[in-house]
Amino acid sequence: MSVTTIDYSKEAPVVEGQPSLRGLDDLIAKPIDEFPHRNWFIGLAITGTMLMIGAVSLGWLLWKGVGVWGINQPVAWGFDVVNFVFWVGIGHAGTLISAILFLLRQRWRTGIARFAEAMTLFAVLCAVQFVLFHTGRPWIAAIWLLPYPNQHGVWVNFTSPLMWDVFAVSTYFTVSAVFWYIGLIPDLATLRDRAKDGIKKTVYAVLSLGWRFSNRHWQHYERAYLILAGFATPLVLSVHTIVSFDFAVSVLPGWHTTIFPPYFVAGAIFSGFAMVQNVLIVTRTAFKFEHLITLDTIEKMNKIILVTGTMVGYAYSMEFFIAWYSGNLTEKFVFINRAFGPYWWAYWIMFTCNVFTPQLFWFKRMRTSLLVSFILAIFVNIGMWFERFVIVVTSLHRDFLPSSWGMFVPTVWDFGLLIGSFGLFFTLVLLFIKFLPAIAMSEIKAVVPGSQPAHHGNGAHHG
Amino acid sequence: MADTNLYAVTALFRTPDQIIAAAKGVKEAGYTRYDVHTPYPVHGMDKAMGLPETKLGFVTLAAGIMGAVGMISFASWVAAVDYPQVIGGKPYWSWPAFVPVTYEIAVLLAVLLTVGAMIAFFFKFPNISHPLHDTPYMKAVSSDAYGVAVRADDPKFDEKEVRDLLKRLGGEVSPVEFSEEFRTFRPRLFEPRFLLLLAGVALVSAGGGYVTWNKLMFMPPFDWMMMQPKAKPQTVSTFYADGFGMRLPVSGTVARGFTLYPYTITDRADSVGALMVNPLVPTATVLSRGKQKYLTYCSPCHGNAGRGDSRMNGQFPNPPTLHSDKVRQWPDGALFHVMTVGQNVMPSYQYQISREDRWAVVHYVRTLQRALNAQESDLQ
Amino acid sequence: MNHHDTTLVPNNELPAGAVRTGWILTALGAALAVLSYLTDGHRAAFNHLIGFTFLASVSVGGLFFVALEYIAGAVWSTPFRRLSEFLAGLLPVTLLFGLPLIPQLHTLFHWSHADAVAADPILQAKAPYLNETFFIVRFAVVLGLWSLFAWLFRRNSMKQDADRDQRHTTTNIKLAAAFIPLFAVTVSVFSMDWLMSLEPHWFSTIFGIYYFTGTAITALAVVTYAMVSLSERGYFFAGVREDHYYSFGALLFGLLSFWAYIAFSQFMLIWYANLPEENFWFIARWQNGWEWVSIALVVLHFWLPYFMLVSRPSKMNTGNLKRSAALLVAVHFLDLYWLAMPTYSKTPVFGYHELAFPLLAVGIVIAGLAVQMKRYNSVPVGDPKLQRGIDFTL
Repeated sequence: MSVTTIDYSKEAPVVEGQPSLRGLDDLIAKPIDEFPHRNWFIGLAITGTMLMIGAVSLGWLLWKGVGVWGINQPVAWGFDVVNFVFWVGIGHAGTLISAILFLLRQRWRTGIARFAEAMTLFAVLCAVQFVLFHTGRPWIAAIWLLPYPNQHGVWVNFTSPLMWDVFAVSTYFTVSAVFWYIGLIPDLATLRDRAKDGIKKTVYAVLSLGWRFSNRHWQHYERAYLILAGFATPLVLSVHTIVSFDFAVSVLPGWHTTIFPPYFVAGAIFSGFAMVQNVLIVTRTAFKFEHLITLDTIEKMNKIILVTGTMVGYAYSMEFFIAWYSGNLTEKFVFINRAFGPYWWAYWIMFTCNVFTPQLFWFKRMRTSLLVSFILAIFVNIGMWFERFVIVVTSLHRDFLPSSWGMFVPTVWDFGLLIGSFGLFFTLVLLFIKFLPAIAMSEIKAVVPGSQPAHHGNGAHHG
Repeated sequence: MADTNLYAVTALFRTPDQIIAAAKGVKEAGYTRYDVHTPYPVHGMDKAMGLPETKLGFVTLAAGIMGAVGMISFASWVAAVDYPQVIGGKPYWSWPAFVPVTYEIAVLLAVLLTVGAMIAFFFKFPNISHPLHDTPYMKAVSSDAYGVAVRADDPKFDEKEVRDLLKRLGGEVSPVEFSEEFRTFRPRLFEPRFLLLLAGVALVSAGGGYVTWNKLMFMPPFDWMMMQPKAKPQTVSTFYADGFGMRLPVSGTVARGFTLYPYTITDRADSVGALMVNPLVPTATVLSRGKQKYLTYCSPCHGNAGRGDSRMNGQFPNPPTLHSDKVRQWPDGALFHVMTVGQNVMPSYQYQISREDRWAVVHYVRTLQRALNAQESDLQ
Repeated sequence: MNHHDTTLVPNNELPAGAVRTGWILTALGAALAVLSYLTDGHRAAFNHLIGFTFLASVSVGGLFFVALEYIAGAVWSTPFRRLSEFLAGLLPVTLLFGLPLIPQLHTLFHWSHADAVAADPILQAKAPYLNETFFIVRFAVVLGLWSLFAWLFRRNSMKQDADRDQRHTTTNIKLAAAFIPLFAVTVSVFSMDWLMSLEPHWFSTIFGIYYFTGTAITALAVVTYAMVSLSERGYFFAGVREDHYYSFGALLFGLLSFWAYIAFSQFMLIWYANLPEENFWFIARWQNGWEWVSIALVVLHFWLPYFMLVSRPSKMNTGNLKRSAALLVAVHFLDLYWLAMPTYSKTPVFGYHELAFPLLAVGIVIAGLAVQMKRYNSVPVGDPKLQRGIDFTL
């Protein structure tokens, strides 16, 4: 670690080297222009198989009902809610990277914002299927989920946190999709002008709405982007806050604790960044984006993973401390049972993967190693999945009366749907990389050295 | 305007500094219908072009306030007025619980209307047949060049002057003309093929909707809730040892609020009726309750006004009118007794109408009797 | 690289008027505080607690922003970092200010009464944590650690003024990395000790974050107020621009929204679950006149400053920034009053007792700034990020 070489008087470059603007277009549009590599098809075959496993499990679920899952009394929420919270959490990184880092003027976000946003959409899709299908008969879910005037004369219950969830997740998905699409418009126009053949050109032309790079449009566009970022930021917080309300407004020990909202948000950012990190490293290597997604970016992502992991660790400790401090016997029992009861292994997997292993990122050599980053990010995802498992299952499996105690054993269909959701997610990621620019062309051009007028500061020290 | 085919004179520049200078130059030369095209937003361009601050923020503010006020009002109306329910022992109007949905809808509306207004109103999009599209000029500015286009309909436009100005500013000048297709294009709304397409879409969506809601939803597994194994009343059950689908109350138990009616059908209505007093006061609420029950259970035979002239007339032994002197002089208790245990062919209604409601019906019958035999003193 | 036209103004004392105001407030506050102690020691102790926690908010909040700037690599705040460092320099004063409270633990804390604990199984269970010895140890350790870090950060930063060595920045980044997690723990311990345990039966896991948000807003508001009014008089460097003002305004805006988020989350969860072991705390703040204080807190701590700072131009308007910052400093007193005083009195009380300690605390902050501005450079002239901070554009 040669610390003296860091020069704090200069910002680390967002894009390394001196690429030409057209060269950037060529590089970013390469996966779109060319026939995909063999590895892409191999990847698609794997994820497609996983997706099929999910589809079969879903079909069986619809045929037989939620009884095919391992849920029971007292553990009435199982993998469905665990997976939902897990995927919604993953879905937080995208909008966070686009919106919060945009507002904080962290320009290193430029290289990764686009596909982080895409991952948000895909993750929320994965999440939505679980909440939808855990209702048992999703085809009539509209009756309880949407406030529409109906012949039954009933309305939805606005006092229910599950209702808030419907509003929060659907708003989040809509706003994220809009945000993503607005960002895509100039790039779609660039692709339109690059495209040679008819169908491709027509599709991109229609999707780009007729964008012509007019500065009279850029002016409104930039303000709209700022406004959207301003709204998306608190929206990200609100979504996982409301997901945490699903648990925390109850009176169940282990669920009802006031730190849940910020704790869930921190956890969501944590897992989302880890997932982005995984996909990022693979994409960067596969498509030779090393100069656009710099090692500095990966290091910064690792720092955020470290910070949020430590926040989550703070929340675990605070919960434990207050469980003791409250003097409430049930509260105390639930927490001791979490760590040393029948599900002790889940708790310690969670704790190890979320709190202990990210501490390796204190070392610069670990932060800048692709392999270590990749493995630790996978660990984080495992840990965060188990966090939700611990919250849902261990809080439920010991009811207030010992006569109502039980255990949760997942069935093969639980795992089938979990695998299917990963299949769906990665299939969508692969398709996205093939058909849309994985890096925002118009944004990265604006931060390339020499791309801004001199009196305004050039790219290297601007901002 | 010398050449009606000319849309604009354009010039391409190679550096951001040049384009800023060019924008300034065109603006200072007094042109108003010009535009600058850059592959990404160039800092300082708004100032160079002298563009006024965008008004987009006002749309956002208005939409956000609209969403917030609208949603909290809607949630309050639903939960406190139209469909009040006690949830978790809380008051109907539990405003903290409405904060999350209010917040979400405010954000949703603000974002959608901001973006909608930007695309439709500020950009006038979608518009994929602009004269600049598909020109070498557009292909350049969509990648790595910076361009200025001065439109031919600018009041100050003179092709030569504009060309000279742009050349002086350092650009590669080229004109853009309206294409033949662009000039001759007319929307063909009533073309048969388009109408056929519309009809096709309508047919498919209507058919799809019909099949889904009227056929698919009655096929397995969607109909399985209707055919789940359960004990229905009046059916044979294989689950219970005695084979009855309906269950008896546990022996020796009494339902809450149950009191035994001590008289039977053999007791005379007027004599046992004198022993009972109507516990209800004939308020408007009681009368409307009584009316509701009367119209539901009594009117099919006794008729809406109690004259014994219902639509069952002739198909069934007719009950006598309730306005006879005998019935009018009966004590309240006698009416109650008849409703409770029945009389002649009239069955007992004690299982259909609750005790309290029967007393309310008595009041209503008294009202009917008085209405049909009104005295002059009633008018005072 | 062509830089904005800048001339550093590193050696500048606080304006004479401000210095005078600082000392007058200190003297007036001290006199009133003594009077308050002489007339009603019980009430004075509670107000002293509010003054103490306020000073702690300002000074440790300043320390937090110093650490945050280093760890986040922020540049826009570098030219003004000294203000945060000066606030952090008040930590030893805060320690001294809180010292007289130690003999008064019996007045403040129900759990410190042995007879009360003996009659209460829940307090007995908490006794390993809530006892006087451990409490004093925690007080000393927490404030000692904060003072130590403040001293280390400032030492390196001041040294850099002279030798302009980049290595001091590296050291401070490492210090910041160590401090931030430590800060999370200590500020939670501090707030739970001094504010949450006033109601020893009550507990809320979010409480540390709630108090932390208050400290961050208050310190930032003090820094913003000082930064804006001094920049207007030509301090720091010539040509402080809207870009700098906007950044302060935006961060204030973000933090006050975050405060509302945390406060609402805490309220919402306790209100919704409605468990008697938690809700009594909010019930006490929703009756006998306290409801008006609660409403005032929501309006003055959130809605009013929210709308004052929501638009882009309003975050660049110096007058508006100063007004919002002053308001946010004042409402932190209201916040602490709302946290602490319901334990003292069933109904809200307001008199010279309640004025004495806020005046004293504000006086100490201004006088403390004055003393340090006189002694040290008001701009970190040797910081490698300084020029980037001066050139900062949105």
